Amino acid sequence: KDLLEEEPKSLAVEVFYKTPQEVESAVNAIYPPIRTQMAEYVATLECHSDFLYGRGSWENISLYQGFNDTNTGRVVPFWNGFYTAIRNANLVIANSPDGAAYDSYKAEAKFLRAFAYFQLVRNWGAVPLRTELNMEQRDLAKSSVDDIYAFIEKDLLTAEMGLKPVATAAGRPTSGSAKTLLADVYLQMAKYPEAAAKANEVIQSNKYSLIQVTSKANIQDNIFGPTVNNSPEEVFYFKFSRLTNEGNYLLFIVNHPSTGLFGFPGAYAVHGNKTNPIFVNWNANDLRKSLYDNINFGLGANTLVTSKFVDKLATTNRTAGNDNTVYRYADVLLIYAEAAARAENNVSPAALEALNKVKRRAYGYNPAVPSVVDYTAADYATTPFLDLIMKERVYEFAFEGKRWLELKRTGKASELVLANKGKTILPKHLLWPIPLGEIDYNDALDPVTDQNPGY
Amino acid sequence: KTFGQKINLVRNNVTLEAALMEIQKQTGYNFFYSQELLKNAKPFDISVSNSSLKEVLAICFKGQPLTYILNKKTIVVKPADLKNIVQDITITGKVLDHQGLPLEGVSVKLKDANKETVTNQNGDYTISVPDGDAKLVFSFLGFESQEVTVGTQTSININLKTALSALEEVVVIGYGTVKKKDLTGSVSQVKSKEINAMPNANVLQALSGRAAGVQVRQGSGAPGSSSTVRIRGGNSILGSNEPLYVIDGFPVNGSPTQINNTDIESVEVLKDASATAIYGSRGANGVVLITTKKGKAGKTAVSFETSYGTQSLIKKLDLMNAKEYAIFYNEQRTNSNLTPFFSQAEIDGFGEGFDWQDFVFQKAPIRTTALNVNGGNEKTQFSVSGSAFGQNGIVKGSDYDRYSLVTSLNHKISDKFSLSFSSTLSKLSTERKDSGGGNRGNSMISAAVSAPPTLTPFNDDGSYRVLSTAYPFIATDIRNPINFINEQNSKIKANVVLANASINYNITPALQLKIAGGIENRDERTDTYTTTKFFASAGSANIFAGQFTSFLNENTLSYQKEFNKHSLNAVLGFTYQDFLNTGVSAGGTGFLSDNFESYDLGAAANPNVPGSSYIKSVLLSYLGRVNYSYDNKYLATVSLRRDGSSRYSEGSKWGYFPSAALAWRVSNEEFLKGNELISDLKLRTSFGVTGSQAINPYSTLNQLSAGRTIFNDAPYTTFAPGTVLASDLKWETTEQLDFGIDIGLLKNRFLLTADYYIKNTRDLLSNVILPSSLGYTSTIQNVGQIKNTGLELGLESNILKGAFNWDLNANIAFNRNKVIKLSKGDELLRDRVNLVVINDVTSILTEGKPVGTFWGYLEEGYDATGKIIFKDLDGDGTISQNDKTYIGNANPDFIYGLNSTMTFKNFELNLFFQGLQGNDIFNASSITNTLDYGFGLNMTQDVFDNRWTPQNAANAKYPKVSNATAVRVSDRLIEDGSYLRLKNVMLAYNLPKSILKTNWISKLTLYASGQNLFTSTNYSWWDPETNFRIDYHSYPNAKSITFGLRAGF
Repeated sequence: KDLLEEEPKSLAVEVFYKTPQEVESAVNAIYPPIRTQMAEYVATLECHSDFLYGRGSWENISLYQGFNDTNTGRVVPFWNGFYTAIRNANLVIANSPDGAAYDSYKAEAKFLRAFAYFQLVRNWGAVPLRTELNMEQRDLAKSSVDDIYAFIEKDLLTAEMGLKPVATAAGRPTSGSAKTLLADVYLQMAKYPEAAAKANEVIQSNKYSLIQVTSKANIQDNIFGPTVNNSPEEVFYFKFSRLTNEGNYLLFIVNHPSTGLFGFPGAYAVHGNKTNPIFVNWNANDLRKSLYDNINFGLGANTLVTSKFVDKLATTNRTAGNDNTVYRYADVLLIYAEAAARAENNVSPAALEALNKVKRRAYGYNPAVPSVVDYTAADYATTPFLDLIMKERVYEFAFEGKRWLELKRTGKASELVLANKGKTILPKHLLWPIPLGEIDYNDALDPVTDQNPGY
Repeated sequence: KTFGQKINLVRNNVTLEAALMEIQKQTGYNFFYSQELLKNAKPFDISVSNSSLKEVLAICFKGQPLTYILNKKTIVVKPADLKNIVQDITITGKVLDHQGLPLEGVSVKLKDANKETVTNQNGDYTISVPDGDAKLVFSFLGFESQEVTVGTQTSININLKTALSALEEVVVIGYGTVKKKDLTGSVSQVKSKEINAMPNANVLQALSGRAAGVQVRQGSGAPGSSSTVRIRGGNSILGSNEPLYVIDGFPVNGSPTQINNTDIESVEVLKDASATAIYGSRGANGVVLITTKKGKAGKTAVSFETSYGTQSLIKKLDLMNAKEYAIFYNEQRTNSNLTPFFSQAEIDGFGEGFDWQDFVFQKAPIRTTALNVNGGNEKTQFSVSGSAFGQNGIVKGSDYDRYSLVTSLNHKISDKFSLSFSSTLSKLSTERKDSGGGNRGNSMISAAVSAPPTLTPFNDDGSYRVLSTAYPFIATDIRNPINFINEQNSKIKANVVLANASINYNITPALQLKIAGGIENRDERTDTYTTTKFFASAGSANIFAGQFTSFLNENTLSYQKEFNKHSLNAVLGFTYQDFLNTGVSAGGTGFLSDNFESYDLGAAANPNVPGSSYIKSVLLSYLGRVNYSYDNKYLATVSLRRDGSSRYSEGSKWGYFPSAALAWRVSNEEFLKGNELISDLKLRTSFGVTGSQAINPYSTLNQLSAGRTIFNDAPYTTFAPGTVLASDLKWETTEQLDFGIDIGLLKNRFLLTADYYIKNTRDLLSNVILPSSLGYTSTIQNVGQIKNTGLELGLESNILKGAFNWDLNANIAFNRNKVIKLSKGDELLRDRVNLVVINDVTSILTEGKPVGTFWGYLEEGYDATGKIIFKDLDGDGTISQNDKTYIGNANPDFIYGLNSTMTFKNFELNLFFQGLQGNDIFNASSITNTLDYGFGLNMTQDVFDNRWTPQNAANAKYPKVSNATAVRVSDRLIEDGSYLRLKNVMLAYNLPKSILKTNWISKLTLYASGQNLFTSTNYSWWDPETNFRIDYHSYPNAKSITFGLRAGF
């Protein structure tokens, strides 16, 4: 009988999560399912934006008529990745022992679980809410959007308490990361005072600052460069390295071989257009504008290719060392500026200063010192100020996957996509189709009523 | 002076006088003759060695008007008396069978002469012979031939013994042997001659078309690639449907490709449950028993075989030429609202352009050589063979070499004990090319079809042309095939050992104990290197090294007893077998020089994470079988195997696999004895249960797998479960019922075998998809039921006999497969194609339909703008997944093989046909080169000629060409994969002794043969044979011309 006992040279769920080292490695396992999807996820979101365009098989997204089969399939790995991360987080939360040694691990798991749900709820709306309590239940109905936000808020409040101000390694969340994510969530929930307060806590911690730049090369090397690590601007990044298959795939998606900026030929699948009003109206003195090269690779003379992400030493499509900059300090400043202005219905000096810091840096000035490019309070009422922040955000965060979700959050998607791209958004394009792997095999979902409209 | 008793004499056109002088010299005999007399003698040819005086003189005086008288040591030559020349002896006699009944039609032949007669209905014959030294040969199908020297007799009566004919032959079954006539189960035997009829890389390819109900599919024409074999259809969704292969009693891992075909004595295919249940949990897909050559007591025999063949592509695809390509893509751009790319002057300048198919494919040699020595005495018998097989691929840079050494030894230690040992050592090496699959020309095969004919592989300066940026509209994926040919290689080296030894102890004459031990070991290593000259490569090296070891111990007790009319044969056993797989992998990218290849990974700028693995499983078994027969009329077999496998959940590890069979030899009943028409008739039926180990080891354990993530810039280890949720699992079992009939007609000149079977597989292990929000994508469960029913017919016949002999063997099999039940009625969508332009599933597993049912959209022509109209089946106004339906079936209606062998004098002509009828193929290859218009890929001529244009709207076969042509998985991609193929045609010539003129060669055959020279099919792409279910840029099969030689010494 003993002969038939299986003794694999591996570990099993039943005997794991017993020591801090084991729990840490289980926490580490929450990252890869998200990390490996981030490049395509960001690129997909950018194709939706009012500034950038998808080429080839991505073009369908930029037409705003709902997803064709290819792109319906494209978002499936995002869904699967977020939920695999949620499962791995739930395993940590459910199985790790009690005690102080494990609190920060559970906090880290909750931070990442909240991050995953925040992506799910914004792109798919109501989704099944898998927690450590129902993680083994096969058929699970959708939870309402409100319930999901409430759950995210709860996770992040716990994470904020459990996480340390300084992480053991760059790439792990800090209490600052949790506050920033929470501020963004509050902004989304239209809880503006809470959003402003959380963002302000991060600013007041004085742990972060913007990196001063004076050239295009400074931006490429010092902010987004392949070897940048633990920069003062880093609030929460998914980290990549030049190790085989551990690099950032986004560089492959966006680069063009003729630029020589990426050590491997790119697919230039997401690009800009120099006739887009956002680009046309962009001040030439803004160093960020220089990150776009005009290359005609067959899509016409006005095509723009980004040079924001550069790694000449990458040897394959997955060996670029550049990080995925999920939350930079510039984001904290702009979340604060917007949340404060919305909460106070007024442009406070602090809000103005937050916006100005981002703008100054982009024009090559010391972010901490007032400059000639500063906006002044007298010139702006609240609404124009909010427009100004939106403009600053598209310049600052292009190719970082923020614009489309912001357009949806502010309710300006239809207006700005029409204005900047001349395209009309079909309502079904606002939510992604729930994968058939969920609709067909989760018996608590009705294939007709639970699928997102239009699919 | 002493004289030899024997004469050696080789002369052409020698005069009688000269010959006699030579004979005198050698023997010392004296001749008396007059010169006058010898003038009338004719010159002649003579070639004798070590021959007697009488034999030599017979040749000298043959046909001469002279004769001689021998008197002591003197020979007197005298004129022949005309009466004496035809002084033949007339022989008469009767030929009877072993029961004393007269045999009609027996051939009575004068040996070494062209003289023959046959017996009449009373078994009587008359034949005249020249002298008493003449030898008569009596031969008759189904009986052993007999040779008689006439001597002084004038009446010769003969009793012919029933030959070890088809029915008397011994057939190998699991854990024993049985005479073919005593079989109760369904077993097909394929003999050495058929297996070696043509150069085949392995025994699986050689089985194709040879046995009813055995379908061999070659997934790729690449040298060294294996084949899949289906016996009576597939039973399992999740697990392998490959049969179990047993070499000399050792159940081996996977396909037995390490064995050289010339080393095989016979192959037995066990098909029904009565035959396979003795292999229990591994018998559900049938069992193939391979028996290697063994030594025979007697004179040491040496045989040698060699052949050389040249292979080439069976057919080329008809593609657009350079001019058509330019016109086509200008039209594509115009239709896409872009400016045409090629100017009229450029178009006019293009002609045929570059032929990329000729660039990628080549003529390639295939070589075989084998030497076998076997012999021994009553105590010890041995056989040793060495062989080499070498095949270059028709895709440049691919090859396969195999060297093997096979030894077998039997030794009788005493009356009680004996020892036997056999071993096979094989060394395999293969160079593979990244040839198949791919998309938009990023594999070698895909690029051979897709590359623009307007471009060449090299730039003017000799550097490799980059195709992916050659035109603004071209696919970024496409690669110049020169990259794969010159700058990427993958080598596999493997050493395979199979060694078996056993001790037999005869406890009593009827009871024998056998203790056997064996080891199978395979060490292999794969080295892959992509050079720095490969497109966008910094140099990349990968190594995988693996070891598989299986240890077997079998202890069996056999009992055999005959008493009165009862015959009993039983076997009881206990076996243990374990399987251990370990592997290690490593690699790196970024090399300073290509000199290192994969042999200095330390030189890599970026080392890969190394990997290693360990998988072990154990199988414990108890087995028993009883064969009983009464009066040679009523036969019964009962067997039971109990298997315990480590792979299944606690409490479900053990399974019972019983079987029972009954057979009735009707022809041994009084009322059929001596029947003119029916010489043999047997009815068989069997029922049994077999199993399948469809799951991998550890599938029931919640294992964690290690991974990596990055913090700072450094790797950190992660542990999490995989995407498949573990669950409790038990055996997948197959019940099979078989009815069979064996008929021999006209003294067994026609042997017909027919079998009808029903196979039900239950507790079918299947991947069950889970809602992806669970974090697991699937789990494995015992769900479902599949049914296979079928009919097999096999015919062996001797249509003509005599000087012109014609044997014709044919087989045909019909199998119907149906999914009876699935989990909760779920439809499993499968076989996804990821071609960007189409990224969808192609087949469906659903209740009531066969496995391999294609699933997609139906087309309804073109709309006014040249777009494909897909049928809106649910009528909701849009085309969605709900409009998919069943669009084809990959299963053939029937499979067949036909083998004809004609011999006349020293010539033999063999024709072997094989085919499939009624199977559909999903032609994914054609998507790229007939529908994916947006990426500058070359298209078939058919697309160019029949694309939709406003002028050619009515007859269009393809949609309007634009960079936004919408296509889906539709019925247009389903093609009829039926084919009839002349697999082999061979003309052989057995050199007669008179030409060989030596005694040391006993046999020499020269042959010329052709493989795959003729194919009848409607399939549009390269080859229907290498593409079962889905054709996805697969390596095509080759046709070849082979010349060879077989010699025996």
